[in-house]
Amino acid sequence: MKKTTLVLALVFAAGAVFAQKKTTSSATVSFDAATPKDALPKAENKTVIGSLDTQTGAVAFEAAVANFSFSNPKMQEHFNGANWMNSAQFPKFTYTGTIAKVNKVKFTKNGTYNVKVDGTMTVKGVSKPAKVEGTITVADGKIKVAANFTIKLKDFGITGQPIEAGKVKEEPSISVSAEF
Amino acid sequence: MNTAPVNNRSKWLHWIAGLVLLVSYFLPWVKWQSIRVSGYDLPAGNFFRISESNFKLGNPFPQLAFSFYTFWLIPVLIVLTIAMVWQNKKASLFAFIAGAMALSQVTVYYLFSNTLVDLGVGSSAFAMLQPASFATVAAAILFISTALKEHNWLKKFAWLIIGPVLAFAAYKMGEKYVMAETFTNTNDIKADYTVNATDLIREFMANDTAANNKYREKILVVNGRATQAEQKVDSTAIIQFADSTGSYIAFSFEKDQYEQVKQIKTGDEVSLKGSCSGSIYSEILGTTAITFKRATLNKK
Repeated sequence: MKKTTLVLALVFAAGAVFAQKKTTSSATVSFDAATPKDALPKAENKTVIGSLDTQTGAVAFEAAVANFSFSNPKMQEHFNGANWMNSAQFPKFTYTGTIAKVNKVKFTKNGTYNVKVDGTMTVKGVSKPAKVEGTITVADGKIKVAANFTIKLKDFGITGQPIEAGKVKEEPSISVSAEF
Repeated sequence: MNTAPVNNRSKWLHWIAGLVLLVSYFLPWVKWQSIRVSGYDLPAGNFFRISESNFKLGNPFPQLAFSFYTFWLIPVLIVLTIAMVWQNKKASLFAFIAGAMALSQVTVYYLFSNTLVDLGVGSSAFAMLQPASFATVAAAILFISTALKEHNWLKKFAWLIIGPVLAFAAYKMGEKYVMAETFTNTNDIKADYTVNATDLIREFMANDTAANNKYREKILVVNGRATQAEQKVDSTAIIQFADSTGSYIAFSFEKDQYEQVKQIKTGDEVSLKGSCSGSIYSEILGTTAITFKRATLNKK
């Protein structure tokens, strides 16, 4: 009986150590839609949930829209309002994708790898294909993921006079960083 | 010398302008989506109530709300002017003030509508203006122009522009102040609720809609045992409380709080304060995640 328990415990422990799907709840996503006319539309969220499957290359991120922190209270209020992100109705941004040629990334060996991810981004209930280029850095057993890219707001049905007037960038830059 | 318009044509024009200005004040000046807002809605207190309840854009300076009562002077001064002119009494100052105030109020309505356009309400502030606002502008110009019998155009011109110029300057200054504002340090804000971490998670899991409505953008003090304490390389930190189901609360600390929270370790009993962003259900983790921004270590 004791032997069986010990074997089962070892199996579970090994499973935990070599688990292929790694998760985090403290990834960071920031966006910058500032323009020369308005420096305020930029924010950051440091409690983004992410996952990375080192075998299949599947990646996923979920960011609570309301937890994007702005420097200006009014800008944050507008961002979450019904006519912009409507965070009450669409509480999260999501991205799911697959790393191309993931077998070339040695997750057990220190190094930096440039990767391409083919996926889908969902903003305000609208899903669009999104190809993202990024880097994976493996260092002492930790896996760091980073990516910088832009999105077109109108692809997600986000339009308005401030964009036309040049107060909000049509294609904000997005930065993602996560450690698994 | 200021005298009432004595010749008949001027008197009748002044009269008509006053009447149009008076009637227009009680007609819709702007239309925000399907909501019509009249001139009198500003002194009646409806203007910001409508914009706040429908578009979440309230009066940024509620302490100055009493000053809007002065706009009741517009209809009062018009009635006084009409009555006095009828009796051939001097009333040009009343006419000037009423006309200038009406023009300043139209300016404010236009600028505020433009702010609403920035929020995605409609596509153009000009398109939101209703016929009565144009009638008000035309009548105010005529009311001021016919207030004096002599052709003192410099004086008339000054009264024509003073209202819109002052309104525009005040509005832009107010707008600049609002956009330059930053969040008050969370520690200096009185908490709306003080809760235990596991109770808060339980409340969100029992009814997330009700909990989100109750807590979103409210300041909460949450007490509990830290189940995760992470110091990031950019001198920010994340501290979490989790329950046995894996659902958790995550507090995000900015750089200015780092020195206060860097000593906190997993397992420590802590009291944290932050602005609640509500919850999401994570498909990745299969749990509920409740997040807080602008967190601080609660000073008891």
